[in-house]
Amino acid sequence: MIEGVRRVQELMERENYVTDRAIATTVFLAMEIRKPVLIEGPAGVGKTEVAKVLSDALATRLIRLQCYEGLDVNTALYEWNFPKQMLRMRIEESGGLSTDEKERLIFSESFLFKRPLLQAITEPEQAPVLLIDEIDRADEEFEAFLLEVLSDFQVTIPELGTIQAAHRPYVALTSNRTRELSDALKRRCLYLWIDYPSFEKEAAIIRNKVPGVNAALAQQVAAFMQTARHLKLSKVPGVAETLDWAVSLMALHQDHLEPEVVSETLGCIFKDRDDIVRYAGPRVEAIVSAITELEPDALATSQERILARAEA
Amino acid sequence: MEGAPRYGGVVSLQSIEDEAGRRVWPDESRATRADLAHNVIDFVRLLRENGLQASPAEVHDVVRALRVIDLGDRHEFYLTLRSILLWSPDQRPLFDELFERFWGGWADEETVIREERSPTMSSAQSERVESQSSDASYSAMEALMEKDFSDFRPDEMGAVARVCVAIAKRVATRRSRRYRMTNRGTKVDPRRTIRRNVKYGGTVIELAKLERKIRKPRIVVICDVSRSMEQYSVFLLEFMYSMQNVIGRIESFVFSTGLHRVTGYFKHTDIETALEDIAKEIPDWSGGTRIGESLRTFNDQYARRIVDQRTVVIILSDGLDTGQTDLLEEEMARLHGRAVRLIWLNPLLGKDHYQPVARGMAAALPHVDVFAAAHNLASLQQLANSLTTPRGPRAAPRSLAG
Repeated sequence: MIEGVRRVQELMERENYVTDRAIATTVFLAMEIRKPVLIEGPAGVGKTEVAKVLSDALATRLIRLQCYEGLDVNTALYEWNFPKQMLRMRIEESGGLSTDEKERLIFSESFLFKRPLLQAITEPEQAPVLLIDEIDRADEEFEAFLLEVLSDFQVTIPELGTIQAAHRPYVALTSNRTRELSDALKRRCLYLWIDYPSFEKEAAIIRNKVPGVNAALAQQVAAFMQTARHLKLSKVPGVAETLDWAVSLMALHQDHLEPEVVSETLGCIFKDRDDIVRYAGPRVEAIVSAITELEPDALATSQERILARAEA
Repeated sequence: MEGAPRYGGVVSLQSIEDEAGRRVWPDESRATRADLAHNVIDFVRLLRENGLQASPAEVHDVVRALRVIDLGDRHEFYLTLRSILLWSPDQRPLFDELFERFWGGWADEETVIREERSPTMSSAQSERVESQSSDASYSAMEALMEKDFSDFRPDEMGAVARVCVAIAKRVATRRSRRYRMTNRGTKVDPRRTIRRNVKYGGTVIELAKLERKIRKPRIVVICDVSRSMEQYSVFLLEFMYSMQNVIGRIESFVFSTGLHRVTGYFKHTDIETALEDIAKEIPDWSGGTRIGESLRTFNDQYARRIVDQRTVVIILSDGLDTGQTDLLEEEMARLHGRAVRLIWLNPLLGKDHYQPVARGMAAALPHVDVFAAAHNLASLQQLANSLTTPRGPRAAPRSLAG
């Protein structure tokens, strides 16, 4: 047990997920004391990825429920297969079944569409990982319903009765904090805040995820992203943008940052027209030359200097 | 963590108090699991006393977690407690401070970094401390109250409340994307239809219907209490108070030179107590106006959490800004992008000769969905009417800033 957290960290790293102690500890606790994990943080820092890595590491199925405004119990839990029910009723028309018997027949499990939550609860082989993505986009009613499911892992279908989880799933919830979640839900969960990565972590992520990237480019890209997140942007780029950009630079056969190329590929990382207009050209080029003038070893500690060049 | 004492599988760890009364880690295990659990209970109590939400219910989880982690590793111990007992990044500095105070000698690895990026409560606190040192003008508040209550007869205040209730109800009738069961809606509910028609052998004779639910929007009211608004602000606060008591889910802020959240004060039963408390708490009442800065504080610290695509934001101000105009415009744009509707109520608009040419007002106007007067009951009635007409397409493209 002593090596528990470290083991999780190794497992996650084997799945190419660059992690840190905080993430590994929370994931370890989620596995050991079986509490759901609520992962919050800005967009694009790898919140969803945690659940994927967890399912890979456990060699179990990942079941995902994507939340959106208006998501209701039917879409999340189960739906009846109405056409099939209709047809069956037609077939049974001349049969000798009573109304009650017909009703019992068409409201049985084979007429059920299982949606993610029910799938997670009825998974037969082993406990799956249930990812409830962007829970903040669903409304409070759904949150209340979810709370019920997460507390006893059973659901009641009026026509069928109560279904108890065969294996209690591992649950991860993610939220971008567009609204505050209820305390009751938070209380039910372990809490993990994932922030934008540090320079070292981001460089490691690039080296891990972009095949064939050289260490110098990875560091320069990471340094640029660290600086960019301090600019006044209407949409701050996440790690997903970093990786897109690194891949694009590779496709353009770049082995270090060139001011003009950065300006031309700025669309990979800035996703708002105003941001691009404001920074493309001289301001971005000032950042790039500040980065390329520095010794690679100095990049990690020179954020303020680089930023000062951009503001000048 | 090399060299840290390890306790193996035996969960036996006790923190003892040093001369300064701080708990420190013993060199060797001395106590039982019960003592550690006891310390965790004390720690949770300390968190609660300082406004964190952790409850005794979590103690159980902590104790379970402590059985499986490496207790010799202090950082792991810290991360475990944090992941169970802390639910918001904003409260992280406070949590770290309390952890340090309770468990002692704990400045460890990554606990100190990222201060700069995470919105800390300490900035809000230091601001409050600073502003307390400035001239607290409680007497100004008293004068203000007298002035306004003399303007309105007592029976009129009742009318204000009634109109506010009517407005609140109008605002509260937005159609949701959720459906509820009914027999007169527009959408067929296949599930209930099938059930109802089993008795006809699958021939659909009776239809079960669904209709959209009515959903209450969130409302955020931001009221200007600077000197130029003196004669209106008590009246407008009454309006906020009524709104909050009818709609429930409403967040209230006031600003003069700085922004203050006052939602909690309006939970008092009567408006007078609420006003007194607010005036005591907010020293820059009737000070200058910095709308831009105040809105920036709002956007940075609150908007992300409390303003979304079903939130109506109401700003009550005369727009006579002494701050930077371009900042105001920028912050208005951010807020407009985030809220479903941005309403600006301006008491000056009621005056015949008024034109919104004040620099601040002119800068804000392009980002306002509804611009209305708020100087008397008739104007509030008009506002109620304008809220019931559906909103047209937005003039400017919407960007989700922030």
